[in-house]
Formats: sequence, structure tokens, C-alpha cells
Amino acid sequence: MDLRDKLKEVIKERSLAMTIPEAEKLAGYVGRMPTPLEFHLFDTMWSEHCSYKSSKPVLRQLPTQASNVVVGPGEDAGIVRFCTFSGVEWDLVVAHESHNHPSQVLPVEGAATGIGGIVRDVYCMGAKVTGSLDLLRFGDPTGVSGERTRAICRGVVEGIWKYGNALGVPNLGGDTRFHEGYDDNCLVNVVALGFVRHDRIAHSFVPEEAHTEQYVLILTGKPTDDTGFGGATFASADLSDTAEKGAVQVADPFLKRVLSEANRVVLEMLFEKEIPFGFKDLGAGGIACVTSELAAHGGLGIHVDLDEVPISIPGLPPEVIACAETQERYGLAVPESVAEEILDIYNTSFELPRLFPGASASIIGRFTEDPVYKVVHRGIEVAFTPINCITEGIVYDRESKSSPVEVIEPDIRPVDPPSDLRKMLLSHDGASRSPIWSYYDSEVQGTTHFRPGEADACVTVPIKGCKAGLAVSGDGNPWFGQLEPFLAGAHAVGEAVRNVVATGAVPIAATDCLNYGNPEKPDVFWQFCRGVEGIAHACRNLGLESGREHPLPIVSGNVSFYNQSLSGGSIPPSPIVAVFGRIDDFTRATDMSLKTQGNVIVLIGPREDEFGGSLYYRSCLGHSGGKVPLFRGELEYEMARFVLDCAEAGISQSVHDISEGGLAMAAVEMALATRKDARRGVILSKGFTDPVFLYSETPGYLIEMLPEDWEGISVKPDFASVIGRVTADFSISSDIWKLNLSEVLEEYSTLLDRIIWREELSE
Amino acid sequence: MTNKPLVAVLQFPGSNCEYETASVVRESGMDAMIFRWNQLKELSDSRPDAFILPGGFSFQDRVRAGAVGAKEEIMDLVFNEALSGKPVLGICNGAQILVESGLVPGWENGRIESALAANHIHGRSGYLSRWVFLRANERALKISPWLRMIGNDPIPVPIAHAEGRFVFAEKDNNRISECMALTYCDENGIETADYPVNPNGSFMNLAGIMNREGNVLAMMPHPERAFWMWQIPPWIPGTWGDRRNSLQHDPALAGSKGPGALFFRSLADYFELISREDQ
Repeated sequence: MDLRDKLKEVIKERSLAMTIPEAEKLAGYVGRMPTPLEFHLFDTMWSEHCSYKSSKPVLRQLPTQASNVVVGPGEDAGIVRFCTFSGVEWDLVVAHESHNHPSQVLPVEGAATGIGGIVRDVYCMGAKVTGSLDLLRFGDPTGVSGERTRAICRGVVEGIWKYGNALGVPNLGGDTRFHEGYDDNCLVNVVALGFVRHDRIAHSFVPEEAHTEQYVLILTGKPTDDTGFGGATFASADLSDTAEKGAVQVADPFLKRVLSEANRVVLEMLFEKEIPFGFKDLGAGGIACVTSELAAHGGLGIHVDLDEVPISIPGLPPEVIACAETQERYGLAVPESVAEEILDIYNTSFELPRLFPGASASIIGRFTEDPVYKVVHRGIEVAFTPINCITEGIVYDRESKSSPVEVIEPDIRPVDPPSDLRKMLLSHDGASRSPIWSYYDSEVQGTTHFRPGEADACVTVPIKGCKAGLAVSGDGNPWFGQLEPFLAGAHAVGEAVRNVVATGAVPIAATDCLNYGNPEKPDVFWQFCRGVEGIAHACRNLGLESGREHPLPIVSGNVSFYNQSLSGGSIPPSPIVAVFGRIDDFTRATDMSLKTQGNVIVLIGPREDEFGGSLYYRSCLGHSGGKVPLFRGELEYEMARFVLDCAEAGISQSVHDISEGGLAMAAVEMALATRKDARRGVILSKGFTDPVFLYSETPGYLIEMLPEDWEGISVKPDFASVIGRVTADFSISSDIWKLNLSEVLEEYSTLLDRIIWREELSE
Repeated sequence: MTNKPLVAVLQFPGSNCEYETASVVRESGMDAMIFRWNQLKELSDSRPDAFILPGGFSFQDRVRAGAVGAKEEIMDLVFNEALSGKPVLGICNGAQILVESGLVPGWENGRIESALAANHIHGRSGYLSRWVFLRANERALKISPWLRMIGNDPIPVPIAHAEGRFVFAEKDNNRISECMALTYCDENGIETADYPVNPNGSFMNLAGIMNREGNVLAMMPHPERAFWMWQIPPWIPGTWGDRRNSLQHDPALAGSKGPGALFFRSLADYFELISREDQ
């Protein structure tokens, strides 16, 4: 049998995702038939999930540099400067990932490990994690796969609260959308953020001091088992059957919490003693990836002894010990001289072995000048390869074929505002998200100012004593994605920026997660390319921090391909973006609840006839429309500037952005957010039955102001006008129609609870 | 050398509210130190004046929430200090530990007479994060060092738990009313047994119970999350809502204390009283 056939056989036998040419490349690197461990290691490193082999050339278009960027994409998380307080410079650390496939197969575990993985990425930069967001996309909960969709939705929410709440990281919302295109493939995107002192950033490579002093690799945390073996490969494949449950890891927030406390003490000790170190979490590819990457990125080799790895299942083969993706583990590269002291913190002070059977910190490897990756198991060499080959990566030039969607518009557009608004408020996408948020702990750590749903973005006050507030929002509209992939990308940035700006915060960084179908299909790859172009275009237009010529930087992100249905149809192109903003004085932050009767409602942003993917078309006409709102970069920038100026001047009483359902829905949502003992409403002064005025989703904002504050603005921009007033009546009305909000409040607030959790499906 | 009272905040494996709890104690004019579960000697050497068991998921809520934490050696020390009259507060998971240790209601030393069962009420079961209103029982206001400044206005605070429904082995209403400390009510102070005023189905709308002497208080809501005015949601009704909203865009919002601060101010006031009596 020749080599090619032998390689083919191994790939089949071990269910590897690598292609035969890839296996041949590997055989070339090692100069012989690769060992099982080498096969699995490279299968992971060359998976789409780890290597970005299809996406890398396209991602280069994204602006990743700006004057505030400390660490751009490349390490576990991105870092930007945040503020200086009492002489200490604080940086914001952000990471964004998907856990789509695991969540479809095992929703509770999949969603939980999604949070587990993303918070580790932020922890391992040396940061304290101070928030997480979940961007969720589910199928149609009352459609053909409704029963499964509802179960997945319940499971995902359960996984999120069980993990995040126990860990003690406040949940800062995110968004949830329902679309039948996700019936067979839900999306669970997760964002984590944290703060680190600028002089105490940890890096994920062994420091150069390791050239002159012996460094060792400490593995700490949960004992290794066989969970998640092949996880990265699984994340990069079609969801063809559910026999792959073994590839989903099992999360443990309890152990993670104790580990985080122990890590904090260890890192503090290392920084106090000024001992350089490398620190990295174990994610895809487990021990094999963490050891090889820590060494390779520091320009060294490593010798790993698998017999030193604490394991919880006896007799695991070496490739499983090395490549399983057991959760709650970290790798730490430190001088041998302090290793014992560190082991003592984990094993004695924090009693890892007593608290969790088999858990402990152990020395499992030694860094070497010789740039090879060598792994030994029971005295036998089970991997031996030049270390650079492992991290060198692999790139494909995928074919892209333009496949625009034909624009079809509805023939007639009847308008009956009370009835239309009712339909939109009681739709899956329009109803209150509070049934979901009620499971999340948004207030642990005691830093939360605006919780999910109170303002367009959550606002926290993360640094004790410092007035700087952080605002964060994540967005992405699948209905736009389905019709126009470029605009879906641009508006994902645009809406997240608007949400942050609405609170009065200036966007300082963004992250993205790009969720698409199979990139080997040219039409899908085109959707992906257009989405990235859209994101890049919007970021270049919305650099609000240091002027328009500087982009909003994308500092971290993730690509998730192969999201598709059982029949092979792709999900709607789903670029999802999170934007992070800073407000220098959080007491100036503005929520969305209407305040005082008699105040004027100012519309920012002229309305255009562009209804593609709009909630009005979907809920009231049963039509998806065609023409998606354009992204008008210069106008977006100017509008955001104006809203920020109003916030700065302290004249915005409440602010809400215009998105799904248009201006009328935005006004209703501002009324619904009011105090139950001080209800407010809105009376509109024009456009009584014009669908464009009422429901167009052209980007914009509504701002509540005192009449004299509005009059006091000397130069009013063309895009701003008064369109209504605040009333003490809990309703929305014009002089010819009215909707009493008390009639819909209860149904609006409980709709998702009734459908998803109680399964009350009567029509 | 400081002569501020020292409050020990106990960190169990899985606690997750220890830092913000210690911080609000300090903001209330007292000293706070966090002690890890196995720092028994350090804890006993520093002779704390009061103890707080913070929120979290100690020992992963194994068996029942709080059940394993209550059996840790460090709890023997807390138990004896509590019997000697030192103030002890358990918040959320800390309350679950106090109940499981038998310190509250404490009808018989160390006997477990109450439990915090899974939330269950018509309208909503399972884990719940929500703002609720509380009212302190009249007797509790008088005798508990944690409640002396609470007053008669209903106070808004958040809850965040899956197991917060007080149940009792013996439904002896007389004895139970003696240990009543805090009950759920609406923003006007009216109690009803229906969701959401009673958010979890707790017996007699109980949000917190104490021992007979009142020095040990176990409460499910999180006062440390309502310590500052800016932590209160903008939609909170009632007088606290008025106060909060009157500070919209006012720099004074940053330093204004919220309703949760009253619990810690009560303790500081109690220590002041003691030190005056000593002099």
C-alpha cells in the first residue's frame, strides 16, 4: 500500500476532517507516517475553527488597528485602552466566539461551555471578567420544527444561567432572534469582557527569558478526560447527525470559579516578583495546542510528558490525553524555580484536589531551545515534529460567486396603526425579551447601572471609584442577511454602534462573529465576503472616538462556517457584531424610559421607503420585502455625533434607537419602559397613516427633550425634527388613532415565556 | 491602629459576591477582610466583630444549596461566635448556609428546622433574577443589628436565586412569627402571596429569617446590589424610584446611597451604640 492509501485509511478510521493533500503535507513535515497524536493535533490546528484557512485572506479587510488598540486579533482576546484612574491605566479586554454546533446537539452543555470558553479567553490575558453577552438565533418556535426549537431555546438559556450565574460574571444581555433558517442549526454567539491593568497584561507565549532560564509548563484545573475529543473538527463540519455528542465538552463553573480565584493569586505573585510568564487557556486541541502554541509563539520547543497529566479515566490513549478538550484547564509557562510555590497555591491554598476529584496543578512539560515539539507517553515518543509546522497554518483560496437575491416588493401596504403595532409587539421578534433575561444574573459584582432592556445598551461602572462607564451591545439582523449580505454586515455594526451611542457612550472597539454556511459553496463564500466588506465599510465610517478618519477597530472575533440545515440549505448570512463604548461620567448615561409629559420627541434620521426584512412587512403583510435600508456612512456618523453632543449637554431625557418596527415601535418601547406608577405615552404630530413614517427601519434615533432644550439648540441639523410629545397617558396615538398600551403590556411581557417555557401555543 | 469594627466576609469554594460585599462594608465605615474557607487560624486570630456569608454557589450547591458549606470546619467558629451574640448575616447562598447550619431559626441549637426550597409559585418557577420590595418585621427592626435603620418604607432590592423559598419542618406560626425578619411586599408595603410580589412561593412571604435574639439574619435578597442609588433600575416605582429619578444626570448620583446601604449602616450604628455603652 502506498503512503497516500495509508493516509486515506487513517483519515477514515479516525474520522478526521483533514483532506488527503493536507495529510500528505503533514507526512512531509514529519518525514514518515504521522503518529495518531500528530494526526489529531494537525487535524485540529488545520480545522476551519482554528486555522481560519478559508477566511483569513478575506478578514484582512477588517480594520484592526487604531491608536487605542493594545492587542489586536491574534491572541486569545483583543485589548484596547479604557481609562486612567488614580495613576493606573486600565484596559478593556474583549473576546467573541460561537458555540453553534454543540448547542444544537446538547443545548445546555453547549451553551454553558460557550461561556466557559469565552471567559477563559479573557481571564488568560490576566483580566478580571466583568461581563458576558449572548447573541442567540433560534428557529421558528411555532413552525414545523417548533417543538425542537423550543427545547433548544430552553436548554440554551438554562446552560447560560447555570454557568454564568454560578461563575459570578454579570450577564449583560445580548439579543435573541427567531428565523426558520435556524431550525436545524441554532446560533449561540458569546461575548466576554473584562478589565486588566495595562502593566499587568498576560500573554499567551513563553517569554524570551526562557532562552536563558529553564521554564516549565504547569497544567492546572480539571483532570483530563475524553470529553470534547475532536471538538474543533466537529465545530468545522456539517451537522449531519447527532452521534457526535461526545465532541461536546462538559462545563464546571464551580471549579472555574475556584480556579479563577487561584489564578488571580498566582498572577499577582508573579507580577509582584516581576517574573515573566506565559499563560493560556486550554480550548480547541487541548494540551497539544496549548503546549505547542505557548512554545512556538515564544520561539522555543517543548518536551511534554503525558504521564504527568492528571487524568480521570484510566488507560486513555495518548492522542486523547493530548487532544481532548476537557474544560476548566489552563497552561502556565513559568521558571522552574517558582514552580513549586505555584503548585502549592493551587493544590494546598485552594485545595483543588479536595474540591474536585482528580483536579490539581502539575508540571507536564519543559521548554527547550531545540525548536521541536516532542511528546512522550509511557516512555514512548508519540509525537516529534518541527514546532513551527504546527502553528504555521494553512490557507485556501475559496471560490466566490455573486448570488444576489431578487427584490420583490408587496403590491399593497394597508396601514392600521393600533392593529399593526399590536401584531409587531406580539411577534416573536418584537415581544419583550425579559422572560429570557429573568434567568440571568445581571448584577453580580455590583457594578451594573443599566440592566438588559433598560437602555439600548447595558451600562456598567467596572472600576471601583472611577466614574467611567462601559456600554455594550451586540446585534445582527438575519432578515437583512437573507436579502443583502453586505448591508447585513454594515447594519450589524451600525445598530450596535447606535445602541451604545444612545446611552451617551462613545464606541471604542468592536468584535465580530461571522456565521455562515459551507464556504466550499461559492455562493455561500460570496455571502461571507460581502458580510466582511459590510462590516469593514461601517467600521471605517464610525470611528467616533478619534474622528472620522480613524476606524472603529475590530479587535477580536471568530468565524463559524458549515451552519446549515439537514437538507443542506445554509442559515441566513449572520454577521453578528458587538460594540463596546465608554462614557467618561456614567451619571450622564441615558436610559430609554420616557420621563415627563410635555417633553418633545425628536426624530433623528429622515425616514426612507426601504422595508426589506422589516418587522412591519413580516408581521403585518406576511412578506419579507426586498429593499434593505441603505447604510449611509456619513449620515450615520453625523447622527451619532449629534446624539453624543446632546448627551454631553445633558439634554437627552431618554433615547432609543430606531430599528425593528420603525419609529412607532421605538416610541412604544420607550413608553413600555416607564415606571408602573408614572406611565407615559407618546402622541405623534404627523404621518398618521404613512407606513414609511411609522414603520420604516431606516436607521435613526428618538430623543426625549424638554421643549426649551430643543428650542435652545442653535443650529439644528437637517436630519432632526420634532415628531411628537410625551403624554401622561399610557398609549401611543395621533389625532386619528390610538393604542392603549395597558391592553398589550401583559401579553407583550409574557409572550416568550408562554410560547417557549409553558408551551401555550393556542392561536 | 484602626479601631473600626472588623467584619469578616467568608469565602467558600464557589462564593461569588465576596468582593462587592466587602466593599460596601468598607463604604459603610467599617473594616472588612475576606477569609478563605481554610484560613481558620487567620480568621480566629483577627477576632472579627461580625461575620457575613456572601452569595454564590458554594460547593456547587451539591446535595442542597448551602448544605456542604454548613459542614465546613470554619462554620464551627461562626456558630460559636453567633451564640455569643456577634452579628452574622447570610446573603443568598450565605442564607442557605445559615439555615443548613441550624443557626436560623435556631429554635434548638444546631437543629435544621427550615430549608430553602426550589422557587415554586403559580406564574414562575426556577431561577429568577428580579427586583422585589421588602418590609422589615416590627420586632426585628427593634432587635436585629442588621435592621435597626431600615425604617417602615418598603425597600427595593434584587433577588437572584433558584432556591429561595423558605419552608419549615413544623408550621408553628407563633414560633415562625418570632423569627420573621423580612417579608416580600409591593411598593406600597402591601403583602400578597401571589407572584410577583412573592417571587418564589416563600412561606408567609418570608424573604429573611433570624434567630430569636436577632443577631443572626439569613436573607435571600442582595442588599449589596442596592447599596448605591445608581444600582437601582430607572423603572423602580415608589419613593426610592422618585429619589433615584430626581438624580438623573446629576453628578451626585455617583455617591448617593441606595436602600441596600441601610443594612450596613444599621450594623455600623449598632457598633457605635456598643462602643458608647462601653465608655
